[in-house]
Amino acid sequence: MSSHLLEYDGAGRVRVAVVTGAASGIGATTTKLLRENGWTVIGVDLQPSDSDLSIELDVRDREGFAAAVDGVVEQFGGVTLLVNAAGYDQHIDFTDITDEVWKRMVDVLLGGTVNSVAAVLPHMLRANDGCVIAIASELGLMGCEYYVHYASAKAAVIGFVKALSLEMAQTGVRVNAIAPGSTDTPLLPADSEWRTDAYVHTLPLRRIVDPLEIAGAALFLADEGSYFNGEVLSPNAGAVI
Amino acid sequence: MAQAEARGVALVTGAGRGLGQAISRRLHRDGFQVAANDVPDSEGLRSLVAQCDALPVVGDVSDSDSVRDIVATVEDRLGAISLLVANHAAMSMKPFLEQDPAEWWRQVDVNLTGTFYLCRAVVPGMRGLGGGRIVIIASEAGVIGMANATGYSASKAGLIGLAKSLGRELAREGIIANAIAPSYIDTPQLQVDADAAGISLAEMHRRYEAVIPMGRLAQPAEIAAVVSYLAGPYAGAVVGQVLQPNGGTTRCRA
Repeated sequence: MSSHLLEYDGAGRVRVAVVTGAASGIGATTTKLLRENGWTVIGVDLQPSDSDLSIELDVRDREGFAAAVDGVVEQFGGVTLLVNAAGYDQHIDFTDITDEVWKRMVDVLLGGTVNSVAAVLPHMLRANDGCVIAIASELGLMGCEYYVHYASAKAAVIGFVKALSLEMAQTGVRVNAIAPGSTDTPLLPADSEWRTDAYVHTLPLRRIVDPLEIAGAALFLADEGSYFNGEVLSPNAGAVI
Repeated sequence: MAQAEARGVALVTGAGRGLGQAISRRLHRDGFQVAANDVPDSEGLRSLVAQCDALPVVGDVSDSDSVRDIVATVEDRLGAISLLVANHAAMSMKPFLEQDPAEWWRQVDVNLTGTFYLCRAVVPGMRGLGGGRIVIIASEAGVIGMANATGYSASKAGLIGLAKSLGRELAREGIIANAIAPSYIDTPQLQVDADAAGISLAEMHRRYEAVIPMGRLAQPAEIAAVVSYLAGPYAGAVVGQVLQPNGGTTRCRA
């Protein structure tokens, strides 16, 4: 039998996670749920996060990210989980997307994912054990008007995940994505169109997603999703089926 | 082992074999009262029933009356069903033109129509409970097709359509339907596949492993864990989805 069957009970595994975007929304909820379930979490965010170790940096800083992970990994005994939740969105007409607006979005969503993977992957490969979870978006699956840069970058994250999952398939590292639907986080302001009755009524589930349902998906993929590789798990209230 | 919090009644079909046994064991561990269906009665079903303190409900799911009886028995003995795991399957591999039409259609009758009968029978009880979960075990054959398995693939693709449509239709009532599309699982079905291909079990393992990017077959417990997730508290916004624990097979070029 293959040596990289994961332990279902977590016994004997290094359960140390890096979570980006850990200070708010899905990242914060995921950090909390992972810690409640025995994971040690290194939180990366522009802001301080409620985690076992808070690292404040911009995910666009590839070298800084790698150096920060390298600097702490020894004290934690390794890193076996990455949840990449850092990101932002922006409602904007396509014709108003300047080079700078486009570049910032792609650099944060796609570049931030690539940078965080690059920082943790050497440690995962050394341990022959790792799980990468990129938080994508349902908009990366179906596209969305007025979010062309966001949807493009999220779709690119999904392409990255699928390609990397094949490249890592013979190692002990699994690479998957979660593509949430509209989720009840600070990314959705009170006046967001995705909080209106008119929108919610279009959802088969008739409600938007709770951040705990995204965190729970991440916990599942990390602890028990041992045969998923290249999956795009989409808790989206039925918005994209 | 301490009993988990009571989670309601789960009806698992195809419970006497491989994956069905693993799913039943996992759900029992999670705190479900398991009703275990298979046909015919078998040593596998009886030992599973003993292990999981399950209610055995022997019956043919491709028969509408039989399904009505199965569900009525479970509801009468254990109460309304909060989780249906449609895991039963019929499969016979033959080149398309060589397959007897009756055998081709039997797979559709058992796999697709049988699951339709089951869903139709359990939904009223779920409505009475104010919600429920339906987990349909499809197959990667229903996603990417499979040579020499046209009837099986058609039935499994039909199940994906069923899960998506039930997801859309029932989610507003708190009844959440999804499908799982596994690839190759290390179960006794492998011996059936090996016999069909006229090769040894070891050679069958090697052939499958060669086309799985992760290089190994799934263990039944890994698929059972996916059922457990879809039945659990964090999966309430997963609606009409097809989860694919497949080690990457749907994207390999072999």
